[in-house]
Amino acid sequence: MLLGAALLQGADIRGVITVERKLTRHNVTASAGMYQREAAVKLGADADADPLEFERSHVAVYLDGGPNSTASAVAKTTIEQRDRRFIPDLVVVPAGSVVSFPNLDPIFHNVFSLSKAKSFDLGNYPRGQTRVVAFPNPGVVAVYCHLHSNMAATIVVTPNRWATRADGKGLFALKDVPPGTYTVVAWHKTAGTFRQVVTIDEQSDAEVNFTLPYFGPGEGRHTDVKPAAQR
Amino acid sequence: MRFATRTFLSSFVPFAVLLAVSFWAVRASVIETVREGLRASVRDNEVALAREQTRNEIRDRKLLQGVAENPTLKAGLQLLATERSARDQARNTLQDQLSEICDALSFDFIMVSSAQGPPLAAVVRETGGFAPVNLVHLRPPEQGFFSADDRLYEVTSVPINEAGIRVATLTVGGRFDIARFGVPAVLLHKGAVIAMQMRDLAPAQIEKALAACTPAADCETRIQDDAYLSLPLELTAGVGEDSYLLRSLQDVDAASAPVQAVLRKLFLVAGLIALAAGLGISALSSRSIARPLADVAAHLRKSAATGELPEFPESTGGVQEIRDLTEGFNHAAKAVHESRERLTRAYVQFVGSLAQALDARDAYTAGHSRRVSEYSCAIATAMNLPAQDLETIRVGALLHDLGKIGISDLVLQKPGRLTPDENELIRQHPVIGRRILENVQGLEAYLGIVELHHENWDGTGYPNGFKGEETPLHARIVKVADAYDAMTSDRPYQRGQSHAEAIAILKSARGSQMDSSVVDAFALLGDQRRRRVLDGTPSLRSLSQALSIEHDKSQNGGSVPTSREGEETREGIEQVATEQRETS
Repeated sequence: MLLGAALLQGADIRGVITVERKLTRHNVTASAGMYQREAAVKLGADADADPLEFERSHVAVYLDGGPNSTASAVAKTTIEQRDRRFIPDLVVVPAGSVVSFPNLDPIFHNVFSLSKAKSFDLGNYPRGQTRVVAFPNPGVVAVYCHLHSNMAATIVVTPNRWATRADGKGLFALKDVPPGTYTVVAWHKTAGTFRQVVTIDEQSDAEVNFTLPYFGPGEGRHTDVKPAAQR
Repeated sequence: MRFATRTFLSSFVPFAVLLAVSFWAVRASVIETVREGLRASVRDNEVALAREQTRNEIRDRKLLQGVAENPTLKAGLQLLATERSARDQARNTLQDQLSEICDALSFDFIMVSSAQGPPLAAVVRETGGFAPVNLVHLRPPEQGFFSADDRLYEVTSVPINEAGIRVATLTVGGRFDIARFGVPAVLLHKGAVIAMQMRDLAPAQIEKALAACTPAADCETRIQDDAYLSLPLELTAGVGEDSYLLRSLQDVDAASAPVQAVLRKLFLVAGLIALAAGLGISALSSRSIARPLADVAAHLRKSAATGELPEFPESTGGVQEIRDLTEGFNHAAKAVHESRERLTRAYVQFVGSLAQALDARDAYTAGHSRRVSEYSCAIATAMNLPAQDLETIRVGALLHDLGKIGISDLVLQKPGRLTPDENELIRQHPVIGRRILENVQGLEAYLGIVELHHENWDGTGYPNGFKGEETPLHARIVKVADAYDAMTSDRPYQRGQSHAEAIAILKSARGSQMDSSVVDAFALLGDQRRRRVLDGTPSLRSLSQALSIEHDKSQNGGSVPTSREGEETREGIEQVATEQRETS
């Protein structure tokens, strides 16, 4: 309880993710037919109006090196299969969480992952059925569909409950962080993993800002862009 | 047929035949050339098409091999194979995948079929998306044409292998558009047209025309009176029973039409020139022949009309044949003349003997006919009558009393005055003479003299009572001569009157019994002339000379005519006839 009280009284870590350029290539290859018909190919027309907003909202932020609170904040998360897409296509869950994959399409899907953090194959299942997967180990899990190669989702399994996604403006907040020294990790599927060390005392909130991609001196560009290998 | 027409035909017809034959030959060769050119162009096109087709096929095949390795598609097939409960959804899943592939690769048709053959799923492009195809009767070939829902597709297939084993076949295709061929083409399926480019032709016509063509060979056929050339386009067409046949179909006549038009114009001009040349040549050549011929014909017509046979002048045109013709005619004319002369001679002899017989019956009138003839001839000469008339008068005068043959000697030789009945008998002699001579051919000219030499100028004569010039001049002349000789001859009952007395009497009868002009002409004749007649030495040849001399001297009084009757001989008459002949 003490710990819990202390936690409740902890300070917040807030910050802004700044993305300087577009990182994700949305369906960048037009269909052959579009080229053959000599139509003007509009790439990324289906992406968000502001591509950077999409990038900012697809950054996962979590604390590394904090107390592991595996069982305490487990929440049930859902990734739907609708219109041949995973919705949402990025979830951030603490280790030990369970994610369900309901199929809402009128066709079969076959969800699977080959990631180290969690490897599974849910098999073919039709509309209305759902499958559930538990993620005990932290790490990044890339999820695909056997039947539809365009479908992809990412599940970031974090070591503790202090984890979130930035919003469209890049703002994030990790609430009630107990005092201590942590590493704040920002992860983007394409840009990679960014770390900043922050020390939290009880009274004041901390502010951690990230700029993606980062080419500043000292920190350098993070070369490890394989989140699955990140630990 | 006129000579000009004949020459025209004989000169133009060979031209025309030559032109027609050469036109036909040139036209045939031009059409053949155009046809060759078309054939070549169609073949070139075909080669180009085939090359592009091959390129497309290779590209498609590579693409398809990639698609065939698509793991999601394999997963979909796996799903369909294994899923038992929700089969429709499984099929939907596969169709959905196929639609995606089809859209990405810009095909219009895509199908997967099991390794054994039956199709598993297929979709076609519709406006605005893809629609599944009913699989019940769907049996497209691995490669080639096939039609579904009244649309024609050209498809190709690749196997889908799993671990080296063929598990399924992927068939994709695009809509077949016959308009993309550079040449007019037609696609046949079992002899029926299912696609064609010719808008103005009915499919039935094409089917009928191509029915006789061998599928793999060139073919020439006719549609709507136009020649068409059809070549098989070597494209992937199905084989066997369900074969599709793609053929080009080019209108050769339309392609060669401009050339043919030029040819036609050319030959029309040549034909017109030949026609003009033929006309000109025939006109010239016929004129050089037809004109002398026309002269000859006119000559002959004239001689036919007159009864004369005048000879041609020596040179009639420059044409040898015509000269031969006229020469021949001249020979014939000469022969006719000769025979006619012979005839005349014979007939003069006949007439002479007749006259002689007549004279011989009556001693008192002996030589009368001859003298009347001589006098008449003299008068006629003095009156400048033509030789033709002279001859008529001479013979006519000889015969003028022939009718007396039919009168009894009792009456004719009766001394003293005649009773009215006897006189009436005597007055029959002109009609009798006419009746005798009427039946002798060739003596028609003398009938007038024989019948009418007792007509008077004032119409009181016999037998018809003709007045003035109703009586022909010949008869009027003979009448004067007859009267003169009757007056100057001695008779049993009276001596002949002198020349002057006779002339005086004749003059007194001018205008009543006698024609004045004839009497005047006779009065002007000199005594010498009359004497020569009496002497029996007539010379008609020198008659005109004598006349001209005597005309100047005028009359030298009338001496008493001496009678020499009975002295005339047959020879004398013959001599006269001979001389007469020579003058004509």
